[in-house]
Amino acid sequence: MTNILETRGLTKRFGGLTAVDSVDFSVATGSITSLIGPNGAGKTTFFNTVTGLYTPTSGTIAFAGRSLVGLKPHEVTAAGIGRTFQNIRLFGNMTAVENVMVGMHSRMHANVLGILVHSARVQHEEATARAKAHALLDAVGLPAQRADDLSKNLPYGDQRRLEIARALATDPQLLLLDEPTAGMNPHETAELTQLIRRIRDERAITILLIEHDMKLVMEISESITVLDRGAKIAAGLPKDIRSNEQVIEAYLGRGAASMAHANARNTGEPT
Amino acid sequence: MQIRIRTSMIGAAFGFAIALISGGFAGIFAGLVAGLISGYVVPQAEPLTDKRRAVGQGMIAALVGSVMTILGIVLRNMGIDPIIGEPLNILAVGIAIIGATILCVLVCVVMCVVRTEPPARERIGMAIVVGIILVTYPWLDQFLNLRFMNEVIPVLVFLLMALGLNIVVGYAGLLDLGYAAFFAIGAYAAAMVSSPHFGLSLSFWLAIWVAAATAAIFGLILGSPTLPLRGDYLAIVTLGFGEIVPIAIKNLDKVSLSIWNYPLFVDVDLTGGTKGINPINRPWLPIIGEFSPSNPIPWYFLILGIMLISIFFISRLRNSRLGRAWTALREDELAAGAMGINTVNVKLLAFAIGATFSGLAGAFYGAYISAIFPESFRFDVSVMLLCMVILGGLGNMSGVILGGIIIQFADRLFLPQMSNVVQKLIVASGNESLRDINFASDFRLLLFGLTLVLMMVLRPQGLVPSNGAPRVLPVAAGEARHD
Repeated sequence: MTNILETRGLTKRFGGLTAVDSVDFSVATGSITSLIGPNGAGKTTFFNTVTGLYTPTSGTIAFAGRSLVGLKPHEVTAAGIGRTFQNIRLFGNMTAVENVMVGMHSRMHANVLGILVHSARVQHEEATARAKAHALLDAVGLPAQRADDLSKNLPYGDQRRLEIARALATDPQLLLLDEPTAGMNPHETAELTQLIRRIRDERAITILLIEHDMKLVMEISESITVLDRGAKIAAGLPKDIRSNEQVIEAYLGRGAASMAHANARNTGEPT
Repeated sequence: MQIRIRTSMIGAAFGFAIALISGGFAGIFAGLVAGLISGYVVPQAEPLTDKRRAVGQGMIAALVGSVMTILGIVLRNMGIDPIIGEPLNILAVGIAIIGATILCVLVCVVMCVVRTEPPARERIGMAIVVGIILVTYPWLDQFLNLRFMNEVIPVLVFLLMALGLNIVVGYAGLLDLGYAAFFAIGAYAAAMVSSPHFGLSLSFWLAIWVAAATAAIFGLILGSPTLPLRGDYLAIVTLGFGEIVPIAIKNLDKVSLSIWNYPLFVDVDLTGGTKGINPINRPWLPIIGEFSPSNPIPWYFLILGIMLISIFFISRLRNSRLGRAWTALREDELAAGAMGINTVNVKLLAFAIGATFSGLAGAFYGAYISAIFPESFRFDVSVMLLCMVILGGLGNMSGVILGGIIIQFADRLFLPQMSNVVQKLIVASGNESLRDINFASDFRLLLFGLTLVLMMVLRPQGLVPSNGAPRVLPVAAGEARHD
């Protein structure tokens, strides 16, 4: 299996703080991979470095065979990486449909002249984009009557879904989801788990997930990488990570490993 | 019922103010305005469903509007005029009162009925009502002896600029405090090529394109250093540009350039310095001939045409890939970038396209007064434009137009007329110590400042907020988002 995303020695320093510390990381094409770690482990910084919000201090990022280092965020998006944000960052004063249509920006071609003369191509592109946006809202399960609501007026769960729809609109090969179930109830989380699976299975989009909900992570992931204090401490199948002493230590502190180990054997949970 | 009366008071206040300040037959015009605004505002407070109810509602709203207008007419003619020594003509007052009432009721009912139509037909209906008023205005002005015509034209010039500024501030969320610079650049570009200054003397119809293109290029040039800046910092830099441009223009009257001691040109007068450029060619059209300064009607239709075309194109931009990108940029620049928007290009396009409309306005303005001076483009022009945009509602064209009309109306018509009346009242009162008060010039900036403060405190989304408009100025929004 080939890797769609591969980083080698990826490092990001902010002054004296090393937020991401020479991380070697790979995501297999077509997989659902999770990135976990305690708070402040550098997961989101890792996402931001991959998507061009930060320039890496050193190291390489290869996406589908091309380097992403030095690319601007919009170029990374055009290259085929879509993302959502940990703290929802929708365009609040735009409707749900418009939010999704913004996501299609890099796949549309209308220029100023075409817009001003309202050329047949621009009209067609606009109509297609609108139809596609509605289809995407439907696919993530946003109720049709909500499509023209301002996104700031949507309920929390729908805002999360809308963010996923907007990221899908960028037509990605790889989708980065930053804590998609944060603040959701168990029912909503279960629905979202289904959605993530469906996106991978039906659209053949590789998924990289940051998540704190261990149940979801263990259930959905085909591969898990653990970061702690910026460095990668483990990577592998969910069942290996579950029993990895270093991982348990990172989450619970030294000495907890042996205790949690016994626990895990009984309940099938890492904690 | 209560809401209806309260909302129609907006129209009524306009009618009252116009009738009180301008007096006489202007009262009929005041009735028209009161009816128009009341008829527009009332169905917003309480959606109208069937036509018969709409007629009833329109009548009630119009009643409020016309009573206030009549009160204005009576106060002016029976109260103020005798004091300041104007003759009283009972017949004219009677005609004005009847005319104001009929027009107010008629227009208000028509507006209310139009607004019960389904959205698509409502738009067409509104366009027809507004179109009729705009087209017949010059004759209405003559018939009612309003003498507003020479002020209405600059008002339209400023509205055109406000629409351009709205692209930059309202759509893209880039607070530009030096927007008048592009007005100056457009005006000077047109003046240089369309006057005997350099002996070029191109036709106005060519010069206006030169002005638009030059303003757009300067939009790019002045926009590019501001790209990494946000909120307050952007405002400070644009404020600087707004100050630099008129000063530069004032000092570009003796330009010398040499390369390695070879003088390319010496002491060239680029801009005419403080004297400005004068005269500038006026437009010429078959049948009408050259537009004359004494007949404002062709000028009125020319600037009205430019404005309508601009509105048409701006709304196309607004509802396009680019318009959405602007809004996304305003809402969340970081997320916009992550969604594939090239924020640099989109910002520069906002500056350039916004400047283009200012350039058009500048070219027209120069030709209209046939002279330009650096003094015409000072900071207060930028501030006034910003007031116009904020009062009506950031990011919403109909709001900007309404806000613009109110501010301009207050500045150009209301204040001078009011000043006149106040002056005469002071003279009539015989109080010598108050003689030196000049209402218009003394209170002008105070009123702008007061408007801005009151709007920001009471209604930051503007008079006519669009559902897609930002609720606050970009500065405040930018601060809230810094995380």
